[in-house]
Amino acid sequence: MIIKYPVNDEILSLFSYIIDSVDIGIFVVNRANEIIIWNKFMAVHSGVSTKQAVGFNLFESFPELPEKWLKRKIENVFILKNFSFTSWEQRPYLFNFSHHRPITGNIDCMRQNCTFIPVKGSSDDIDYVCITLFDVTDTSIYEESLKSLTLALTDANAKDGLTKIFNRRYLETELEKEFERSKRYKTDYSVIMMDIDYFKKINDTHGHLGGDRVLCTIAQELQSRLRKTDIVGRYGGEEFLAILPETPCANAVILADRLRQHVMNTPIKLDGADINITVSIGVAGHSNHYQNYDEVLSNADKALYESKNSGRNRVTTHIDNPAD
Amino acid sequence: MNTPSSRLVIDEYSEDQLDMLQEIVNIAMGQAASSLAQVLDVFIELSIPRIKLVSAEEVVDVVQDIIGLDEHVTAIRQAFYNELNGESIIFFDSNGCNDLAGLMGYENNPQGETRRELLIDVANILIGACLNGIAAQLKNELSFSPPTIIAENDRVDHILSPDKLAWSHALLMEVNFTLESSGFKSHLVIMLAEDAIKSLGESLSQFIEAY
Repeated sequence: MIIKYPVNDEILSLFSYIIDSVDIGIFVVNRANEIIIWNKFMAVHSGVSTKQAVGFNLFESFPELPEKWLKRKIENVFILKNFSFTSWEQRPYLFNFSHHRPITGNIDCMRQNCTFIPVKGSSDDIDYVCITLFDVTDTSIYEESLKSLTLALTDANAKDGLTKIFNRRYLETELEKEFERSKRYKTDYSVIMMDIDYFKKINDTHGHLGGDRVLCTIAQELQSRLRKTDIVGRYGGEEFLAILPETPCANAVILADRLRQHVMNTPIKLDGADINITVSIGVAGHSNHYQNYDEVLSNADKALYESKNSGRNRVTTHIDNPAD
Repeated sequence: MNTPSSRLVIDEYSEDQLDMLQEIVNIAMGQAASSLAQVLDVFIELSIPRIKLVSAEEVVDVVQDIIGLDEHVTAIRQAFYNELNGESIIFFDSNGCNDLAGLMGYENNPQGETRRELLIDVANILIGACLNGIAAQLKNELSFSPPTIIAENDRVDHILSPDKLAWSHALLMEVNFTLESSGFKSHLVIMLAEDAIKSLGESLSQFIEAY
């Protein structure tokens, strides 16, 4: 923080030339919040010249500044002798300056990042705070559009295009996480695998659009009937999977059977007619001796086959047998 | 969490260096507590710092043990450089630091971006107070990068992943802050990267000689 240069007139005028030429706002205040240095960037953008600013109180010259907060911020730099910062993301600007993108910007005024630097005076104490102000308007516009794009992409990457519930890839990552979590914290969890009965017949009778309608309706039912903490997705064609964290198998079976009954009792309207849908379900719970995250999945799958083979429209539970 | 300093054997450092480091860090935290009291008008209690050398693979586990995996935390990262370089991460629990809003010149119970700014501000102050205290004793001066939020209400294992770390070992210093009168609680983890471990070792040797 101490500049170790030979301080002669030539160096001093060089410093002041540089401070005025850089494309950064630089100003310095003392303990009384009086402006000591006010560079050209600040003068040009604020309309308050260096002559009008230096020697005057910062808050009297700029009453629009958030005084209570900013005073505190500057005071803390003096006391803690520590850097401090503001970012455009939380506080878009300190000074209301216009920016260079009036047309393409779609933004009201210059976005700013500021750094507050403790500056030692002649004694070893902090006598000044230097504030540097960076114009980050371009960055902010770029980052905002990137952020919304990332959000859209993350969503698209995890969701099934047709039913808008999670897709298989997402389900598998979550299942793996749940497995790791349970290994570490000995938590219980279960999975429900569900398949629509005679789906091919629905497709044949009502066309693929009709089939899609059924898939979407079942997906929504599944989503809204299960709890917020459950993870619900489409695992394959007409197969759905739900991961139920902190849920022992016995409870999952109760939930699954309620689901089954609800689907059975709620006809779906297709081509003006009510059609009755049933589902077959396999339920399996996690067990501590499992080596791999997909064991629970294959057990649920086995149970689902059992439901299919023994007449459909039913819930089968996988009975865990460590000797298997 | 408030157990006396426990540490692994750090091969690179002699017993003397380690004792000196622990002593320096202890003193720094004492100073940090008093300068924080000056700024915030309340007394924030700091735990005895723990110092550990950890491998990259261990980092996640160690930090998880400090914080607890099921805690959802907000993490703020700040890099520091000059004679010492590394990163510090501060973890706030889900209550954040709303209790400190008034003391920092904010309206009570701030929301959204204002709440984030408060978190960043408090993180900056806590990190600065601790690190400047350490650096000052070693006759170093540090510079800081702007702090940024790296995770909000997320689990630690989502924040740090060993395969993304650029170094194989780090010197980890951990201290936690509590404010008795309210629920405020946070953890500070300071990580020195490999090259900084070496330069800190040199500083410590010089310090011991001058002692």
